Amino acid sequence: MSQRQIRRAVLALAIASSSIAVAGVAASAATPTNVRFVYDFPGPDFELTPLVVGITEGIYQQAGLKVSVLFPPDTSTTSKMLTTGSADVGFITTSDMAVAVQAKAPLVSIANYSMSNNWGLFAKPGSKLTLANLKGKKIFSWGDTWTNAMLPFVLKKAGLKASDVTVVTASNDIPLLMSGKIDFTTSTSNYGIPGILEATKASPVSIVGAAAGVPNVPVWVYSVTRDYAKNHPATARAFLAATLKATQWAIKNPAKAVADFVKKYPKSGYSSFYSTKGWGITVPLLTNAQGKFFTQTDAQWTLLANGMKSNGQLKSVPSASTYYTNAFIPQQ
Amino acid sequence: MKSRLLRNVLGSLLSFVLVMGIWQAIVVWGQVAPYIAPRPLDAFRAISGDWSTLWPLTLWTLRETVYGFLAGAVLGVVFGIVMHKIAMLQRVLYPILIVTQAIPIVALAAPLVLMLGFNLGPKIVIVAWIVFFPVTVNVLDGLTHVDGDLLTLARVLGARRWRTFLVIEVPAAIAPLFSGLKIGATYAVTGAIIGEMAASSGSSLALYQHNANANLNAAAVYGTTLIMTAIGISWFLLIVSLEFWATPWRRRVTARRRRIGGKHK
Repeated sequence: MSQRQIRRAVLALAIASSSIAVAGVAASAATPTNVRFVYDFPGPDFELTPLVVGITEGIYQQAGLKVSVLFPPDTSTTSKMLTTGSADVGFITTSDMAVAVQAKAPLVSIANYSMSNNWGLFAKPGSKLTLANLKGKKIFSWGDTWTNAMLPFVLKKAGLKASDVTVVTASNDIPLLMSGKIDFTTSTSNYGIPGILEATKASPVSIVGAAAGVPNVPVWVYSVTRDYAKNHPATARAFLAATLKATQWAIKNPAKAVADFVKKYPKSGYSSFYSTKGWGITVPLLTNAQGKFFTQTDAQWTLLANGMKSNGQLKSVPSASTYYTNAFIPQQ
Repeated sequence: MKSRLLRNVLGSLLSFVLVMGIWQAIVVWGQVAPYIAPRPLDAFRAISGDWSTLWPLTLWTLRETVYGFLAGAVLGVVFGIVMHKIAMLQRVLYPILIVTQAIPIVALAAPLVLMLGFNLGPKIVIVAWIVFFPVTVNVLDGLTHVDGDLLTLARVLGARRWRTFLVIEVPAAIAPLFSGLKIGATYAVTGAIIGEMAASSGSSLALYQHNANANLNAAAVYGTTLIMTAIGISWFLLIVSLEFWATPWRRRVTARRRRIGGKHK
């Protein structure tokens, strides 16, 4: 091999190696950051609509994220999946957040999902449901921290003790309500109304929010571990910014958004009617009085924690900043 | 005999210590957070710290387990005998029995609650549902495999059918019956807890555990699991003791001498 040939070979090798290196860098720059999102329920439902829109309409992809949705085996495992590193971002109730902080689970809420309390009591159409006629009635509870936190407020407003009603805990409320095995069920309006509407073809009777005596605090939040917030601030910011875009898109295009959800989860077990109705009722809950999404306040956390302490769920009330940060919320 | 009993007790104690040791080691060395899995001592503390609440709940679950077990056992024995005696019925019922066990019990729990309400009813049915099958199958097996020569001998000696049944067939089915009862005893408490999980009014051990889990109180979750396990083990040991007492021929080859008229015969 001549010197010229050797020089050519070395040059070709150098070009080839640098091409591979450049391609590698380009590939790594294009590689999206994985975000494992864990829901608060073992199966998908319409509250996942913004996430599904973000995935199917390419909003997360544009933000450089690859979001996958995980489902916990039960409603209490979402927090644990976050703290054990099985998921990055979680969807939990504010009461779950409060008990997590009490249990010294290193979680922090990074944004509200809903901004007000739409929880209350629901009954079959035509039933008599007032706080004055709760005594002696059978009331359904999911046995979760939220229902455990809210029901005492209802009883207090009705002037009743816990022993004045029978609390029934089961895995499903609608069949029990329809069969008359329970008098009232507890739920949030976006789940309670579509559920009973679908079963009876008529609107349920309900007492919700302030009328039920419950504090006006947000029900659901997005949360991460403190380590994740510290080590992946850019991802947390990008996730919330993209989720905000996806939420706004889903509000502007509700029919397409629900269709995206139904297409993504055809076997969710919920009808298109239920999901459409549910998402429709959810939309007004997503913004505060100023029309802002996500923003948390000291007052909401203090009000919730004091309430949970008064009914024995919490031993003490830490400072509000223990629960949340607005540091990752995008400008609106 | 006593030394054998002592050895068995010591062996069980050692197993218990070993399991607790492994549990402690996993939690400590794995640096598992207390809200994920507690240390064994914390689980026991959770039980003793709230014993006044847990004791009535434990008694309630025990009641569901015992009532359901007895119902399932009686049903199992009756089914086993009837199916043995009426061959046509066996051919019809046996596939149905298999189907009953193929149905996931959790799927059955919800309709049972709708039919029977939130109290003892559905729990007893679920436990009985779990227990009756192994009892039926074992009794049927015991009755089917009686020594043919013994039956022939009884016939030759002119024994009536019911006498043959009582003296030859029933004793032959007792050992398999206890095998079925022991399997049923192990699963009975699981049935009771599934029933409690399906629906409970007021409070129950399963609901207590559910609330503890929601509040990330892992010590109470593991504590209640220990109680549930203790109910299952206690019930199993009771059946084993009953078997020991009811089947003396399995421990001795010769019959016990009976005193007749003040003399040994």
